[in-house]
Amino acid sequence: MTEEHRAEEKKGSILVVGGGISGLTATLEAAEVGYEVFLVEKNAYLGGRVTQLKHYFPKLCPPTCGLEINFRRIKDNPRISFYTLAEVQKVSGNPGNYDVTVKINPRYVNEKCTCCGECEKVCMTDLPDEFNFDMATTKGAYLPHEMAFPMRYVISPKIIGTDDAKRCVEACKYDAIELDMQPKTINLKVGAIIWATGWKPYDASKIDNLGFEYPNVITNMMMERLAAPNGPTRGNILRPSDSKEISKIAFVQCAGSRDENHLPYCSYICCMASLKQATYVREQYPEAKIYIFYIDIRAPGQRYEKFYRKIKEDENIFLIKGKVAEVQEDAATKDITVVAENAVTGERIHETVNIAVLATGMVPNTAETKLPGDVKYDPDGFVVSDLAKGGIFATGCAVKPLDVVSSNQHATGMALRAIQTLVRR
Amino acid sequence: MADSYRVEPDLKFVRQLVALGGETLKKCYQCATCSVVCPISPDERPFPRKEMIAAQWGLKDKLVGNMDVWLCHYCNDCSTYCPRGARPGDVLNAVRAYSIMEYSWPRWLGRIVVDSRFWWLLLAIPVAIYLVLLGATGHLHIPEGHIHFDKFFPTLYVDLIFVPLHMLWVPLVFGIGISRLMKDMQKNAVADGRAKRTGLNVPDFLRYIVCTLPVILGQFKFRQCTTNKDRDIAHLLVMYSFIGLFTVTGLFFVALYILQAPGPYSQVNPVKILANVSAIALFVGILLMIRNRRKEKGNMSKGGYFDWSLIILILGLVVTGGLTELTRLADWRYVCYPMYFVHLVLVFSISTYIPYCKLAHLVYRAVAMAYSRYSGREPCE
Repeated sequence: MTEEHRAEEKKGSILVVGGGISGLTATLEAAEVGYEVFLVEKNAYLGGRVTQLKHYFPKLCPPTCGLEINFRRIKDNPRISFYTLAEVQKVSGNPGNYDVTVKINPRYVNEKCTCCGECEKVCMTDLPDEFNFDMATTKGAYLPHEMAFPMRYVISPKIIGTDDAKRCVEACKYDAIELDMQPKTINLKVGAIIWATGWKPYDASKIDNLGFEYPNVITNMMMERLAAPNGPTRGNILRPSDSKEISKIAFVQCAGSRDENHLPYCSYICCMASLKQATYVREQYPEAKIYIFYIDIRAPGQRYEKFYRKIKEDENIFLIKGKVAEVQEDAATKDITVVAENAVTGERIHETVNIAVLATGMVPNTAETKLPGDVKYDPDGFVVSDLAKGGIFATGCAVKPLDVVSSNQHATGMALRAIQTLVRR
Repeated sequence: MADSYRVEPDLKFVRQLVALGGETLKKCYQCATCSVVCPISPDERPFPRKEMIAAQWGLKDKLVGNMDVWLCHYCNDCSTYCPRGARPGDVLNAVRAYSIMEYSWPRWLGRIVVDSRFWWLLLAIPVAIYLVLLGATGHLHIPEGHIHFDKFFPTLYVDLIFVPLHMLWVPLVFGIGISRLMKDMQKNAVADGRAKRTGLNVPDFLRYIVCTLPVILGQFKFRQCTTNKDRDIAHLLVMYSFIGLFTVTGLFFVALYILQAPGPYSQVNPVKILANVSAIALFVGILLMIRNRRKEKGNMSKGGYFDWSLIILILGLVVTGGLTELTRLADWRYVCYPMYFVHLVLVFSISTYIPYCKLAHLVYRAVAMAYSRYSGREPCE
């Protein structure tokens, strides 16, 4: 977008909470027609779950491909103010007129940071790396990931007051580290709010029969990190227990999904995710055998159906109708045996593989942490927007499990809803 | 298997399964979790996933007379892990209830026993028989003096009723039921190509019964269940206390008619000790069963009558039996004699209705387990 084409300034402002693909889209769509938008993100970077993927649908692009253009649009747009490490604490008021309190947590690194990485080098303590699902560690000073936006280091609050923090300050040539940075609170006046608070993977350790306690049983999101070039193995899909190459892999669909004992709903994209991950394995290991155990393969829509058909033709990929319900580990080889009944032949299969990938579903972040203000939820914790009342909306995976395409469509729709609240006031 | 199979749903059968406690069967979406988590189902054609779809489609022939329905021990590991609350364990229990009804002779009696509307009728039958008998022989009053059951309900009458019941009626009804079940199991096993042998060699089959017995007596199958471990202990207590009480009855029968030594016997008599220990074990076992079943969601449903009627009957049996003995020792004749009467009513019920109620599983399951080994589906341990 160039200056000449920019829409004329409109009255009213919108708060978007969550800087994942849905929040980014809602922000940009509203800002690019002329509204002021505040974007609040709890992580130190924008991009959300998409940043953790190797490729994403529909075109199987790496996340940078779609996100970079969005970040560019944000940088270019003076009507967007975004805050990272920020949380909404309080919301009051009515449609068209909300008072919002936002707490911004200290990053301890200011805008002078050049990402030289000297601070990271002097840190001694290893911290769990949540971005890589604890398959790696980070230092107390770290860049969230290689393509992080904003491109700036973060100092973990865990090292504040330690020698690591002092060493960081000494190592920084640019005066970028401010250990006395304090949390800030800002007040915003907005006419509409869009919650795009997203999701987290279902906790696989709650599924007691699928063996997540074994090192070579991983989740689908961990698989994305293993396959991603900026992941802990630099994109090499290796067995977590011994970093060996693999020759057999199993995908366990509906791991805790469509299951009253866990998540009663279908998370929409896990079937496609596993089919996609099968292509990662095929590319790296042309000889590997891939077993996909499913209840039903859900490939919604013409494009996904086509993708599924292509996968089905692959002679090294075996699709087996029957849910895995038992997983064992060979104590000596650390290989994993998955057990399922092939419902077509009526035989119980014991397939021994190097890695088993649990296709776990999406849990809305609002399942545990409720949002401030007047927000309704369905029994699973997804946000239910009161469209008749207006003012407060939700989008993306805060509403239901979605893929990127549908999230973008939904977010565009919700941006329009938010604008309607401002206009009708 | 034939290339095409014409599905002819028996909707009445589906409705009956629902009424017998299988009301969750339509929730199944065939994920096959159940067939994997079942610890006692074999790798080749495991159950109960295939039984669930047969139940949904009303394929009566594939369920009634299917040995797998009896190989299931109702430990409900499948129901615990079922992602849809379809409770395959309860559905198979309903199929067994239906099978017991189907194989019973006369069938109308089988239908009455499993129907919760007629519980009173089942008790009214012995009450009527006893009242007529006692009234006609002038015994319909509380006798004076120390309590002696013979004065109230002569032992001869008791034996005249129960000896033919146990020696003729029950074996006859079970005999008919077993022959019907065997025929159907063979037909089914041949039809799906599971039977390694088709004919029935009776002496050979009896050998397989012998090799099945340790599995039954040791409850080796039931013990493999994981999620309802407590049920194994409860069932073991109930099973062995029944064996104990049955032995005691036989020994006292011998004592009375052959050794000419009528009761009551001393409390330190070894047989009497066995009787009392068995009664206490039965009481504990049945209380455990009640507790375990109450813990499980959905088991208190209307269809649970098939299970609950037997549990309540056994509870009644042990409570009235115990109270009869205690009030006899306390010499409370006004409580003791009526209690004895009620106890005899319940004894009549359990004796007569064995082939029609849940207790029939002790015969049908044993036969199916033996047949499964005979036909080569399971090895002889």
